[in-house]
Amino acid sequence: MGAEDNVPLDDKAKRMRDLLSSFYAPDPSTNNAPSNPGTLDAINTSSFDADQYMNLLIQKSNLDELLQRHVEMAAEIKNIDTDLQMLVYENYSKFISATDAIKRMKSDIVGMEANMEQLLDKIMSVQSKSDGVNTSLFEKRENIEKLHRTRNLLRKVQFIYDLPTRLGKCIESEAYVDAVKFYTGALPIFKAYGDSSFQDCKQASEEAISIIVKKLQGKLFSDSESIQARTEAAVLLKQLDFPVDSLQVKLLEKLEQSLGDLQLKTDDIENASMESNDPKLGKVPDSVHITAHEGSIRGFAEAISAYRVIFPDSEGHLIKLAQDLVVKHFETVEQCVKGRFSCANLLVVLRTIWTDVLLMDEVLSEAVLPGFSLEAAQNALKQHVASTFNYLLHDISDALLRLNVSSKEAAEENPLQVALEASKKALLQGSMDVLLDFRQLLDDDLGLLVQLRDFVSDWVQEGFQDFFRALYDRFFLLSGRKSSSSQDQGLTAGAHGEKVLAGLVLVLSQLSVFIEQTAIPRITEEIAASFPGGGARVYENGPAFVPGVMCRIFRSAGERLLHHYINMRTQKVSTLLRKRFTTPNWVKHKEPREVHMFVDLFLQELKETTSEVKQILPQGLERKHRRSDSNGSTASSRSNQLRDDKTNRSNTHKARSQLLETHLAKLFKQKVEIFTKVERTQESVVTTAVKLCLKSLQEFVRLQTFNRSGFQQIQLDIQFLRTPLKETVEDEAAVDFLLDEVIVAASERCLDPIPLEPPILDRLIQAKLAKWKEKNPITP
Amino acid sequence: MQGGSSGIGYGLKYQARCISDVKADTDHTSFITGTLSLREENEVHLIRLSSGGTELICEGLFSHPNEIWDLASCPFDQRIFSTVFSTGESYGAAIWQIPELYGQLNSPQLERIASLDAHVGKINRVLWWPSGRHDKLISIDDENLFLWTLDCSKKAAQVQSKQSSGMLHYLSGGAWDPHDINAVATTCESSVQFWDLRTMKKTNAIEHAHIHNANYDMKKNHILVTAEDESGIHIWDTRKPKSPIQELPGHTHWTWAVTCNPEYDGLILSAGTDSTVNLWMAPTSIEDEAISESIAESPAQQADPLLNSYSDYEDSVYGLAWSSREPWIFASLSYDGRVVVESIKPFLSRK
Repeated sequence: MGAEDNVPLDDKAKRMRDLLSSFYAPDPSTNNAPSNPGTLDAINTSSFDADQYMNLLIQKSNLDELLQRHVEMAAEIKNIDTDLQMLVYENYSKFISATDAIKRMKSDIVGMEANMEQLLDKIMSVQSKSDGVNTSLFEKRENIEKLHRTRNLLRKVQFIYDLPTRLGKCIESEAYVDAVKFYTGALPIFKAYGDSSFQDCKQASEEAISIIVKKLQGKLFSDSESIQARTEAAVLLKQLDFPVDSLQVKLLEKLEQSLGDLQLKTDDIENASMESNDPKLGKVPDSVHITAHEGSIRGFAEAISAYRVIFPDSEGHLIKLAQDLVVKHFETVEQCVKGRFSCANLLVVLRTIWTDVLLMDEVLSEAVLPGFSLEAAQNALKQHVASTFNYLLHDISDALLRLNVSSKEAAEENPLQVALEASKKALLQGSMDVLLDFRQLLDDDLGLLVQLRDFVSDWVQEGFQDFFRALYDRFFLLSGRKSSSSQDQGLTAGAHGEKVLAGLVLVLSQLSVFIEQTAIPRITEEIAASFPGGGARVYENGPAFVPGVMCRIFRSAGERLLHHYINMRTQKVSTLLRKRFTTPNWVKHKEPREVHMFVDLFLQELKETTSEVKQILPQGLERKHRRSDSNGSTASSRSNQLRDDKTNRSNTHKARSQLLETHLAKLFKQKVEIFTKVERTQESVVTTAVKLCLKSLQEFVRLQTFNRSGFQQIQLDIQFLRTPLKETVEDEAAVDFLLDEVIVAASERCLDPIPLEPPILDRLIQAKLAKWKEKNPITP
Repeated sequence: MQGGSSGIGYGLKYQARCISDVKADTDHTSFITGTLSLREENEVHLIRLSSGGTELICEGLFSHPNEIWDLASCPFDQRIFSTVFSTGESYGAAIWQIPELYGQLNSPQLERIASLDAHVGKINRVLWWPSGRHDKLISIDDENLFLWTLDCSKKAAQVQSKQSSGMLHYLSGGAWDPHDINAVATTCESSVQFWDLRTMKKTNAIEHAHIHNANYDMKKNHILVTAEDESGIHIWDTRKPKSPIQELPGHTHWTWAVTCNPEYDGLILSAGTDSTVNLWMAPTSIEDEAISESIAESPAQQADPLLNSYSDYEDSVYGLAWSSREPWIFASLSYDGRVVVESIKPFLSRK
């Protein structure tokens, strides 16, 4: 019970309050906390059971505690008693004071009644006096009201009598609005009394009104008046009950006609573009034109809004008109786009259209013009992208084809180089210009273009992809490799029917390399910088522009074209050699007198090749013999081990013969490769061409049978070729080897292989050299 | 693309240009070849691949009077073959029979069945009909096409008909259509001409320059493969002579000979003067491929048609022949007289 010792005071105060409140409370039961009667705390509850409490107390407590409890309990009882006493006293004193108050009130009320009666009397007298005043003034007031009404009526009559003159004045001052207002105001009166008293007036004013109607109509249909004024006139006419429907038809017709003026003229656009191309003068007339156009469109928009108010049922017609206008605009744009048309100009035109559209949209939102024009603009832009790339392609092929023309004129010194540089420039500059151009489209904040931005960058990328594809096709078309291209056979036959220049092929090859190494990376960079993302399109086939693939394509194209060039060059020589070897009867050949002229032709062909190659291709680093990258050889660099193996194996079947000897001789000779990889250098290309020609020469020799003189002729020709060839060629050893091979082949195919005596050989060569120098004094 | 040394070699004594498969020998894989030597005594070698396929055995060695420019084995009698030869100054052609008892004889002589000596110009080729027994022969010289009737038992050959190729058309060779006994293609400098043997009239022509060799596809009708100087190999449909249906790069120098595999579709072998033999796989869907020949799809998707390049040769390769008995085996002959027999089995699995 130690815990209870600490809180007796609080407990006491609480109980006091509870008791007090329970005393005043209407329902004492609510105060009682539901508590267990089985505990000692149950003393305060209503369900307190004294016996039970005692028993519990005795059970739970020892004597000391009981004693202490007793003392406490006694003190508490005493306290409660005093509290009760106090409460009784308090209540009693309150009751006494209340009785006192009631007594005092009773005495105060007694004197009030007399005062009230006095007040009533006074009010009654005031009322009777006011009644008297009212009756005395009544008559006069009635009189005044009557007079007032008469005056109003008189004023109206006056107005009606004045109406014709007033209308006349209005007509003079052209204040038709007022006139109509006056007339419509007077109309009810005319209707009521027009046949009797106001007949003259009515007639006069109707005449005036008919004049007004005529004037209004004239105004409505006169082109000189502003649309605003005409609209006003229409409103007034409507107010005058004029038949509006016929007016509406006529007006709409007029509007339609005025549309014609609003159309953007192709000439205008071209003028604008011409002018804006001219940096000094361009801006002013251009902007004047634009503002004039904008003004008329604004007028058109106002007219539309006015008509919509006047003629609610004309909406459909108006929508159609507006859409027609937009359609015509875009038709004009598409026409322009078909030609060469810069983005800046396109932008100007689109901007004009867009402002028009916005203006019209304000008054005619039902026509959904923005969406409509968005679609049209999308088409126009797409077409623009396509045609731009198309023109770029044309530019490049023009630059290339100029080579054909210029080489015929033979005026320029380095036609190939010029063509290469021109086409390079056309390509790179053209692409950059295109990108810059399209960049303008992206940068512009025109609402129309903002929505198309993603599309534009996609289209541009796609455009480049297609462009390079087309360029690749064009290259092969120009090179004549795909002479039988199935798609545009007609075009090929017509335009490139003539023989393709070998030089052009070389230029194409170099251009392919340039595209792969410079142009595509530059363009990729530029695209990445200026055309971020895209992404409006679903990339089912990956991104639109894939530079990696394009690079690969052009790398292979470059190689193929280079090979093609070499082939074309060697083919010419091959034809030459074929003629040389198939024409004479070698078995009955006469003794060699001089070096045969085919050598001259061969060397001349070679010179031509060299000069072409020198214009374009870079020089090789240094003269060296390449051994590593052979892909086929006659006496090649296979290991001796392998070779011996094979010789042994075949030796079993082989008798000793002259052939074996030559084989063995070959074995111990320096091994030379013939068909090495072509490199993109002057020397490598020329060397490859020479090697191929010499190999052909060897093959032609092998197909013939010679008598001694024929063999000697070959020997002489080859001997003569040796020096000039070595001078032009990178791989001397291979050429030497091939020349030897030709002589070997000739001796093998000779019935009587006795070579020329060296002095005779020498003399014939010297004679030829002298003759040669005579012909070409400058060349060594 | 390493040539490797998988091939089986055999050496001829002299230089040689031509080799032919002995088609009529159904028991062995044999080839017949002849040397080309102006001043020595020329030989005809009958070579047989040993049963293990590891060795080439000389089955017969016969002397031939002149250097051999062309040699073709009779497709229905293994002992008969034709040669075109040159004495150095003049050309001739003959049908030969290998003597019956050549095993016992020391230096057996070839028996000349018939001489095709109606020619005046330079004879280029003698053609047998490749598909079976037929008593006709075709020989081609520079200017004329001859059709012969051969009677082996009577040992006689008679000119049945003759046609001049026309002015300025120097014939260089030809091929007999295995599907049509009356159709022959001849090659000349600027075109391939097709002839109908019944009328001896020209039926069609492919205008294409510098064709060295032509070969009909044994399996597919109307397919002709040609080999050219610079532009490689072209595959033509003879019904569409305007443009080839397929183009293969060919060789670094001239593509000399080309031949279609008798069994496997689209397998083409070519030999070139750059001392290599290339094995090609023409795409099977030839029709589609012709359209998208360029770069319609990315290059990676186009399989490289070159299956293998055999570069194990010392000199230009002129002779080339598939074995018809074992169609995965071919023999090649380089100018230095080396016969190499190779098996293409490793590349068949790739199909």
